[in-house]
Amino acid sequence: MAQAATEIHHEAHGHDAHAHHGPQGILKYIWSTDHKMIAMQYLFTGMFMGIVGGFMAYVFRMQLAFPGVSVPLFGVVSPGEYNALVTNHGSIMIFWVAMPVLIAAFGNYLIPLMIGADDMVFPRINRLSFQIFLVSVLMILASLFVSGGGFGGAWTSYPPLSAQSQYNLTSIGATMWLIAVALEFVAFLLGGINFIVTLMNARAPGMKAYDIPVVAWMIVIASILFMLSVGPLIAGAIMLLFDQTIGTGFFDPARGGDPILWQHLFWFFGHPEVYVVLLPAVGIVIDIVATFARKKLFGYKIMIFTAVATGVLSFFVWAHHQFIAGIDPRMANIFTVTTLLISVPIAELLFVMIATLYGGNIKLNTPMLWALSFIAEFLIGGVTGIFLGASGADIYLHDTYFVLAHFHYTFFPIAIIGTFAGFTYWFPKMFGKMMDDRLGKIHFWGTIIPFNMIFIPLFVLGLGGQHRRIYNFQNFPELAAMQPFRVLATVSLIIMLLFQLVFFWNCIKSWRGGAKAGRNPWKANTLEWTTESPPPHGNWPRDAMPRVYRGPYEYSVPGREDDYWPQNLPS
Amino acid sequence: MSEHTEHPTTATGQDAHDGEHHTNYFKIYVTLLVLLVISILGPEIGILWVTLVTAFGIAFVKAYLVIQNFMHLRPEKVIVKWMLASSLLLMGIYFFGVAPDVMKHEGRNWVNMAAMAVVERGIPLDGEHAEEDEHADDGESPGEGEEAAVVAETPFNAAQAYGTVCASCHGAAGGGDGPAGASTTPPPADFTSADFWAATNDERMFQVIKNGGASQGLSPMMAGWGVLYDDDDIRQIIEHLKTFRP
Amino acid sequence: MEKPLATLRSATGVPTGRLAVWWLLASEVVIFGGLLGAYLMFRLGHPEWANAAAVTNTWIGATNTFVLLTSSFTAVLAHQAAEKGDGVKAANYLFMTIGGALLFLIIKSFEWYYEISHGYTITANGFWSFYYTAAGIHAAHVIAGAIIMGFIAVAARKGKELQRVELVGIYWHFVDVVWIFLFPLLYIAK
Repeated sequence: MAQAATEIHHEAHGHDAHAHHGPQGILKYIWSTDHKMIAMQYLFTGMFMGIVGGFMAYVFRMQLAFPGVSVPLFGVVSPGEYNALVTNHGSIMIFWVAMPVLIAAFGNYLIPLMIGADDMVFPRINRLSFQIFLVSVLMILASLFVSGGGFGGAWTSYPPLSAQSQYNLTSIGATMWLIAVALEFVAFLLGGINFIVTLMNARAPGMKAYDIPVVAWMIVIASILFMLSVGPLIAGAIMLLFDQTIGTGFFDPARGGDPILWQHLFWFFGHPEVYVVLLPAVGIVIDIVATFARKKLFGYKIMIFTAVATGVLSFFVWAHHQFIAGIDPRMANIFTVTTLLISVPIAELLFVMIATLYGGNIKLNTPMLWALSFIAEFLIGGVTGIFLGASGADIYLHDTYFVLAHFHYTFFPIAIIGTFAGFTYWFPKMFGKMMDDRLGKIHFWGTIIPFNMIFIPLFVLGLGGQHRRIYNFQNFPELAAMQPFRVLATVSLIIMLLFQLVFFWNCIKSWRGGAKAGRNPWKANTLEWTTESPPPHGNWPRDAMPRVYRGPYEYSVPGREDDYWPQNLPS
Repeated sequence: MSEHTEHPTTATGQDAHDGEHHTNYFKIYVTLLVLLVISILGPEIGILWVTLVTAFGIAFVKAYLVIQNFMHLRPEKVIVKWMLASSLLLMGIYFFGVAPDVMKHEGRNWVNMAAMAVVERGIPLDGEHAEEDEHADDGESPGEGEEAAVVAETPFNAAQAYGTVCASCHGAAGGGDGPAGASTTPPPADFTSADFWAATNDERMFQVIKNGGASQGLSPMMAGWGVLYDDDDIRQIIEHLKTFRP
Repeated sequence: MEKPLATLRSATGVPTGRLAVWWLLASEVVIFGGLLGAYLMFRLGHPEWANAAAVTNTWIGATNTFVLLTSSFTAVLAHQAAEKGDGVKAANYLFMTIGGALLFLIIKSFEWYYEISHGYTITANGFWSFYYTAAGIHAAHVIAGAIIMGFIAVAARKGKELQRVELVGIYWHFVDVVWIFLFPLLYIAK
């Protein structure tokens, strides 16, 4: 095998020499069609937006705990600014952090490598997708600084607040927000088609449908979900845009329109969207769990079918966001049932992870810690969702901090824990260096503990009746007694944000001076570990593309000397 | 080592299209035009079902012909058909999930009687943010906000309270013939019957209204309204009931 | 630019380009489905919109349907020619299809000009809002299709990338199918 490796290495250099017809210099990075480079662009853009979104959270958490205080690095938060901050925090964290990092970055990086292809099937459409995404990033950032300020009508953007500038007072900001979101959808539609077709068509010879690593499956199922759910909202966005700019009345009841229609269009997309970002995170966690438990994945096919079932069911639950919006009460009964039903496949996903861990030879390094914490924290998020899915309980809890804490307990594990798990796991492949495990663990505990300290108090606040859109709690004397919870949440948030510096320090330190990773530092089976770290352009020499002989989770196979069995090794 | 398994697609993928060379595109085109003419002429007759069949039925037939013969879905792999079918199916789910709210408006007219009674009485709010809930709905727009608009400090009106809370069972004129009372056993009390007034007194009525029928050995279907109305309100309601007395 | 190996593989047996176009159409189905579904709900919930619909001119709509059906026919003939490897013939048929698209747009703009000058603007009432939005999004697809076809026709004339003639054809037929449904929804049902 060592001999084969040097051969491949040698040929890779020969390949490199004639592969660089493309742009040179800095353009090589920003005008590249290489899927790995585009993945890096998505990853770093997403991380940058994550910093922006985190800073917004810091500013409005300060306002919430200490109303009227001059926030360091920002100043006094006016009501309009507060609305803009919470709105854009939500929009950015979902559309410009979770989506680009989990789907676009990991999808671009992993899918071609994991299926043994040299690139995406449409490299130039891939580049176009990122460029459109970049325009949307600039648009949403610019919208914060236009006259009137950024859009403040919540990330759900319900009309008439979003449609009529005499209500939201941000005519330019609202329109720019809407265009930015629409551009982002277009970027992910293009990227999604690319992912789906790549996985369907460009697999290495010998790789059957059930030899594909779970994370690639999950990203593609998520892309399909996104693609099929976003259509009505794209139509709705055009209608809302006309309401805002031309003055049509699609969502204006006084002119024959219906504001409830927007809520339906939004949540018909918005709820599947939760699973769009959940499934890639689940896939990442599954891959890590199987690798570091050194055990075959429990129920591979069940996992795939469960993910598909989750996707299908997710199209039947959207109206549980509208129980108190005045929808037909008979529909509320139906949607309660479907909502509670969807906890079955989700529980199944978690059980597969736990069953894989059972009896495994578990290695508790940084990626594995992130993966394990995903299981624990997402469980809390899922269980609290039961209260909100039941229409009766939701009447009390709707739009309180309970809802807020619930969906942060789902989105934080998905977007932050999932990302850190994947990033620390594939860092050796992406940059060719090992990450510092000790700093990684400090960062892990410094993130997980404050995270729980932020959001457990918010559950209590919500049960105590605090509405989620209150700018200054002092206007409501009955909320004053819960002040310690607000302060605890804000202080924990600041601690958590400070601990992210450890992460960035770890990245820089490991990238510059970390130990060389080699091809397969984790002794994993999937194809991306059979090439160099970082992989060259084209991933493998064109005349030595990998061939697949078995599934991706053959760990600790009895009778084998090694406890792993790479997919590309002839038996 | 693997080139023989990879199908080059540069040659338009004729392998998947073996059956289509017999398709006579011109014949399909002429069929489409004939259908177009029918779909225009059909509505001229002016019969509703003819219009619907010729307009939409023919649209489906035309779409089917184009998709099967021009887009060549017929010889395509089954997975492509599944893709398109699931996107169409999804639009069905979307339509039937949304239509009850946007199209029929039936869900809009449901009324939560008890909550309305509270609203009409004026919730004992903390004062300073009572006006927040006032929705500035103008015109007769079908918005949902109107019923919920809080009118704080409205004086209690027994006749109104009777109309919102009692009349659904006891009838608008007190005859015990309200629509919701039609199926209860025993039937709701008839305030227009002399027998009723002979068998009761103010204190007993007060207890029934406040604590429910079961508290006086009467029908448990009569709920207690003490949570909603204070003692003074209940006495005013009793005075209102006496206006039904024969 | 050398194509990556990934583009040349075909594990499902459907050529990569065609598979992508089918997925594109699946995503278009939900975009138009969302819009037309909303229109249908409003239309059934507001019988009075029939008065506004009565103003639309069925004959202009029918002419446009005829134009699009014909352009679909030439698009499929272009595909047939490309399959036989005759790039020049395919390009000519594609140019005829582009001509159909332009004719469609010209008729459409005269129709809209007439309607707008008579006060039936997009803000007039709900029916007209949907009328212009649905037909406008469809027209945007017509314009995009015509531009793409222009590029493909120029390449096909040189005998390059002939498989793309079929791909743009599939897209074009889909635009045709959308119009086949828009025509009764906006014009015939009165």
